[in-house]
Amino acid sequence: MIEFELNGEAVRTDDDPNTPLLWVIRDTFKLKGSKYGCGAGLCGACTMHVDGVASRTCTLPVAAVANRRVTTIEGLGTPQDLHPLQAAWHEHSVPQCGYCQSGQIMSAAALLASNPTPSEAEIDAAMSGNICRCGCYPRIKKAIQSVGDTSLAYNAAAGREVNS
Amino acid sequence: MSTVNVSRRKFLGTTAVVGGGLVVGFSLSGCSRAPLPIEKTEGSLVPNAFLQITPDNVVRFYCPRDEMGQGVTTGLGTLICEELDYDPVNLDVAFAGVHSDYGIPGAGIQMTGGSGSIRAHYEQLRQVGADTRALLVEAAARDLGVARERITTADGHVLADGERHAYGRFVATAQTLTAQEGAPLKAPSEFRYIGKELPRIDSIAKATGTAQFGIDVDIPGMHHAVVVRSPVAGARLKSVDKTKARQMPGVTHVLEISSGVAVVAEKFWQAKTAAETIEPEWEDAPLGAVSTQTVRDDYQAGLQTDEGLVGPEEGDLDAGFAAAETVVESEYWVPYLAHAPLEPMNAVVKLENGEADLWTGTQSPTVAQGLVARFAGLEEEKVRVHNAYLGGGFGRRATMTHVIEATELAVATGKPIQLLWSRADDMRHGVYRPASLMRIKAGVDAEGHLSTWDAARVGGNITPDSIENLLPGLFPGLDASTVTWMAGLSDDLTKGWFADPSSVEGLHADYDFENLRVTHTTVDHGLPLTFWRSVGHSYTAFAKESMVDELAEAAGVDPIEFRLSNTKNNPRLHNVIRVAGERASRMRPGAGHHLGFAAHHSFATDVAQVAEVSVSSGKIRVHKVLCVVDCGTAVNPDVVRAQMEGGIMFGLTAALYGKLELENGAIRESNFHDYPILRMDEAPEVEVVILDNGTEPTGVGEPGLPPIAPAVANAVYLATGMRVRSLPFDLEASRVEGLSQWRVPPRDPFWPHSGRV
Ligand code: FES
Ligand code: FES
Repeated sequence: MIEFELNGEAVRTDDDPNTPLLWVIRDTFKLKGSKYGCGAGLCGACTMHVDGVASRTCTLPVAAVANRRVTTIEGLGTPQDLHPLQAAWHEHSVPQCGYCQSGQIMSAAALLASNPTPSEAEIDAAMSGNICRCGCYPRIKKAIQSVGDTSLAYNAAAGREVNS
Repeated sequence: MSTVNVSRRKFLGTTAVVGGGLVVGFSLSGCSRAPLPIEKTEGSLVPNAFLQITPDNVVRFYCPRDEMGQGVTTGLGTLICEELDYDPVNLDVAFAGVHSDYGIPGAGIQMTGGSGSIRAHYEQLRQVGADTRALLVEAAARDLGVARERITTADGHVLADGERHAYGRFVATAQTLTAQEGAPLKAPSEFRYIGKELPRIDSIAKATGTAQFGIDVDIPGMHHAVVVRSPVAGARLKSVDKTKARQMPGVTHVLEISSGVAVVAEKFWQAKTAAETIEPEWEDAPLGAVSTQTVRDDYQAGLQTDEGLVGPEEGDLDAGFAAAETVVESEYWVPYLAHAPLEPMNAVVKLENGEADLWTGTQSPTVAQGLVARFAGLEEEKVRVHNAYLGGGFGRRATMTHVIEATELAVATGKPIQLLWSRADDMRHGVYRPASLMRIKAGVDAEGHLSTWDAARVGGNITPDSIENLLPGLFPGLDASTVTWMAGLSDDLTKGWFADPSSVEGLHADYDFENLRVTHTTVDHGLPLTFWRSVGHSYTAFAKESMVDELAEAAGVDPIEFRLSNTKNNPRLHNVIRVAGERASRMRPGAGHHLGFAAHHSFATDVAQVAEVSVSSGKIRVHKVLCVVDCGTAVNPDVVRAQMEGGIMFGLTAALYGKLELENGAIRESNFHDYPILRMDEAPEVEVVILDNGTEPTGVGEPGLPPIAPAVANAVYLATGMRVRSLPFDLEASRVEGLSQWRVPPRDPFWPHSGRV
């Protein structure tokens, strides 16, 4: 029996401890927002946060998240209560087929949490593990920058230091 | 091993192969005998197959085409909303089930592809919106006791006597009225939504993980299946030891199906883990003797036969070459490619009480329904298709082996089955963009006219293979032998009688050729082929636009000027070249960067692109792409831009990395480490310029792709002095292979091969 925190709630599972977290989340907890694209850590479609760190969960055994905090796209925001990145995704009409976008947004959210105003090179570095077969990259980048800019403006208005 | 099949027969003009006998008339009122596959909410209005309006003013749109990223729900929804006077952003979209009312107007079947959805539905869905609005206005006139003429509409509301009432208020009365057809449509000057920058209507669902893809379907009692297939396409199972897999946790069945050995378990991971213990033995198959080098050698032999079917032919080649001042001849090679949509193939099938339900993301609900019917032994009417969002299509999701597999397993196990392909399954057991070897010999006269064009292509054919995959689902009632016969017929036709139009499209158009010939030689090793984003144009544009650049240089003319002076008969293409050329002249490429140019017409749309490229230590970097497109009326300019961006990235992935290698008949690549996809740090900035000329809309899903490879190749030439005539670009290999050397062609008016046929 493995226990962990899923989107703020304590959960437990008796799935085989070697089962990748992705399949436990999708098939046992029935949260389908995180996707399977490659199963080998190559595409980022399965990205979730484990203790706030963007992680490829298709290769991460569920045993590895025992007693840790897991956040999925469902825990980031909802259609009624969008995370700023999700709002930016809508505003910039980022998604095409949409299949990669949960993973893209989770990677971007982890980036902005540690670096609210990333440079273009920092965005490239943080996002290059996420494949978009539809080629939404220019829009993904713009959407991340727009949220970064907002937080920059917010931080400046509040007289805070921003790490850039 | 070679299956070169050559013969010398002519065909007159280009003949499109279309399925016959499928045309079903469209009726707004859904008066086809079969009931509409719509769940009607109590008290709501269903005026036709496309709309349901509830008393609380929710407008649900039953989208007849499949959403694979191209923005079809937004585009088609906008058409309806324009005439209905309803904000598209508020539209509630559902994917239509299977019904004749949802067929492509004029074609009957439900299939999405060919960049044709907006074109096909442009009139029809605006009419649906206009007629529905007229019905609501009539109902409002009665309910409010106001003359129809004094009623206007906006944003889902009726405006009368200074009061605003939601449409929903009138649905009860509207249900008692007979819907009329043929309400007048707006003039383009009155458009409020068409042509405007509106957000996509599916972006919130897709940004929150709430959009349901086929893979996300989860129904009670569902079991998960994984299939182990032969590494060589077409090989039959010889033997398999199932004992070990049967004892693995969660496994309920291990059984043989038409495509291989299936493992069924309670959870996906259990099925996958158990499937890894299975090591079947396979019979030999003809493809087993084939490797990439065999393919290239056989194609080369095909090109040397000097035979082949003659496609479009005009004028007099001999005279043209005799009069030419400059003659250039080059060969171009492109490899097999996988579509690699990010969502691997999957399907859920449930059989119960002599009926079936299928959940999948498909490019053809009609074919999907037929396949379940055929393999479950049911009538088509007993099969409900629940289409979902497609995690990418690109042509791949019109072939549905996965639907057949899931159906066979649901029949065999009696359980609802979710079948999922792994990424490696998708890479190795799919259907592919054909490899092609092309040769173009062209002549420019003393005045700079590109007058003479002799093009040849060798490879497998796209249409017959695709027909073979579609037929069993299109005609579920036909027995297997008849289906095989029909498929064989289309294969024979394109081998022996006329060039498959899909195989050579784009190789013989766009410029003002006076003397033209296209020859085609079918050499097919049996790897299954199908449509791949932009189909034949995905490789013919590379050959054509590379050659045009070579010719311009040989003739000593600027490549953009050269294109302009040779597209007088194609004013729309001429115009995108002109605009892109003017913009290119104002671009300021960085130090060591070079601009390459290409233009191409496909799916009724014209596109010109300028690629800003640098090459350092053999690595090609594309910094920026300028894309000028004329697609008639841009129903949603932002979606048009997105499709151009996406087409460019897709084409760039193919140009820089895309190739599948055959080793003893098996595909070597398995995942994104050896079949790389462009990533963010390699993606160029893209600027899209839309020339909206107000004419009927034309395609956008595919036309952004064809020009990018040649635009980059032409820039690489400027950067390195090397003509790269082989995809994907590999500067080192090209140097060795000699497909890349730039040579000034002999200016011989009597080119030695000019009397080839
Ligand atoms: S599915 Fe996990 S990285 Fe691709
Ligand atoms: S939107 Fe389709 S894979 Fe990214």
